[in-house]
Amino acid sequence: MLSEREVTSILNMLRNEHLDVRTITLGVSLFDCVSHDLDLFIGNVQAKLRRYAAQLVHVCNEVGDRYGIPVVNKRISVSPIAVVGAPFGPDGMVRICCALDAAAQEAGVDFLGGFTALVEKGFTCGDRALIEALPEALSQTERICSSINVASSRSGINMDAVALMGEQIRRTAQATADRGGIGCAKLVVFANIPQDVPFMAGAYLGVGEPDVVINVGVSGPGVVRKAIDRAVAAGHNNRGGRLTLLDLAEVIKRTAYKVTRVGEIIGGEVARRLGIPFGVADLSLAPTPAVGDSVGEIFQSLGLSSIGAPGSTAVLAMLNDAVKKGGAFASSSVGGLSGAFIPVSEDSSIEAAATSGLLSLEKLEAMTSVCSVGLDMIAIPGDTPATSIAGLIADEMAIGMINHKTTAVRVIPVPGKGVGEAVSFGGLLGKAAIMSVPQGDASAFIGFGGRIPAPIHSLKN
Amino acid sequence: MQKYTASFLGKDCPGVVATVSRLLGEAGCNIVEVSQTILAGQFAAIFAVQAPDGLQPVTLRLQLCEGLQAAGVDLSVLVRPATDEHWSGGSDCEPFVISVDGPDQPGLIALMSRVFARHRINIESLKAILGEGGEHHALFVFEVQVPESIDLGRLRRELTCEAQSRSLRVSVQHRDIFEAVHRVSPT
Repeated sequence: MLSEREVTSILNMLRNEHLDVRTITLGVSLFDCVSHDLDLFIGNVQAKLRRYAAQLVHVCNEVGDRYGIPVVNKRISVSPIAVVGAPFGPDGMVRICCALDAAAQEAGVDFLGGFTALVEKGFTCGDRALIEALPEALSQTERICSSINVASSRSGINMDAVALMGEQIRRTAQATADRGGIGCAKLVVFANIPQDVPFMAGAYLGVGEPDVVINVGVSGPGVVRKAIDRAVAAGHNNRGGRLTLLDLAEVIKRTAYKVTRVGEIIGGEVARRLGIPFGVADLSLAPTPAVGDSVGEIFQSLGLSSIGAPGSTAVLAMLNDAVKKGGAFASSSVGGLSGAFIPVSEDSSIEAAATSGLLSLEKLEAMTSVCSVGLDMIAIPGDTPATSIAGLIADEMAIGMINHKTTAVRVIPVPGKGVGEAVSFGGLLGKAAIMSVPQGDASAFIGFGGRIPAPIHSLKN
Repeated sequence: MQKYTASFLGKDCPGVVATVSRLLGEAGCNIVEVSQTILAGQFAAIFAVQAPDGLQPVTLRLQLCEGLQAAGVDLSVLVRPATDEHWSGGSDCEPFVISVDGPDQPGLIALMSRVFARHRINIESLKAILGEGGEHHALFVFEVQVPESIDLGRLRRELTCEAQSRSLRVSVQHRDIFEAVHRVSPT
């Protein structure tokens, strides 16, 4: 028999704290679809996606109903297109992107990730073609997400790729200028990209992954915040002593455990019903623009006036670590990013802090050294030079490379808009004030190109 | 040996279980299973016992009543032959938790349980939690066995329809989710 508390706590999480499974992502390898003939390749890809994805949405909804917990997004990730589509030029890459978009629409998923190139050490012809195709490909499609890995702790930073991405981000924004540069919201530049992320826009299926696999992304910032609020309201720890950060870290850890268990049971059952192996549960506190589903609000619950105030990096470090510990205990298959996201436009509280000037790009950069991703969904002036965007990318990649962690940059140079104005992308992508980019010229540094070598792996201080 | 169930209902006080179990022992009964609760100050318990051959339910009840009276314990007693057969609904069942909450009003349990009965859903546990979500707020938690053949979507729609007619909310969830979230088990 269940206890009263066991029942009411789940009902509260669902009704008042936005508990859900944020995404179930079907990974599909396209290596067996390769061909030198573009039409044949596209036909193979569409047939394979149809074979495995046809039942995805239906099964996710059915399992979500069974447990009374909604699976909000159903998505697909595929092998890096720059690898499987290596024989094709930029025009071919655009056609592949459009075909993937059509397949995503047919499957009823909201995003498909994997328009990806891995260039941390250098470019292949396929990598160059894919990167060149980005502005047109992302402007002609609705559901395709792209990720470009330009750095790793083992290989260093490919500064030629960094420079190129600075330019391509500008061009992608221009190509989608009529929609506020939304193409850039589906384009992420990574260091140390994980191969099994279920979350967009960074999802792709790595080369070491199975032929097909189900990965699940669980979220729950609202659940974590309410748990902290209850502990703070009680005014003491569970032994009756003074409530300290040690106790609050424990609260976050236990809550993360519960949320991860939800994801694992639902992801596991979806995988079983589809006859596909279960891959990983990625517990990432991923906010949505809805009030009460915010990572930024957690900072307030932990005693800061707002995210961005002094202490923010420490709070994020504690939050990120506690989430990882809870998740790791809850599942033997934890993977992906697993931590806390701080996407500016997708989080109402972070967006408000950026709008009011309490949160700067510099502070966000500092916080990315301890969060699970990086500079995420940040709107910047449309006239930001490509070399400055490349400089931002290089800084962020350096943080990831040196600290052996994933970092990423997803910035949107909003065409025709400057600091003080705002842009709205709608839906999960939210809205954001245009943030100022640090002044100064990085063009000569970026112009050197080449590679920043990988860091030494000993003598760590 | 034969198996009986002996149920006891009456005012709760310290020593009730001691008296009942002593009397069962004196009657030669071996207790094999017990379920006991207290509600509104009333003690309620069901004891499954193995009774000596030849001891009839009516005789055992008489002995228990006399013993309780002698001990000054005011309990009603019912003794029936037990059976190991459980209700199965004619098919495999799965455990679900159905929660209904909203403004308290007469007839809520009857309303929901009518739907359960129509679908051959067996209630294994029912708990009412009153006043926790505010004055006049009621939460009813039904732990039920749902036949696998049931169309869950249809059941949910019917329950929601009945619930909404009384301004109630209903949720239907497989029991495993509660176990997974709240309980740490080695497997």
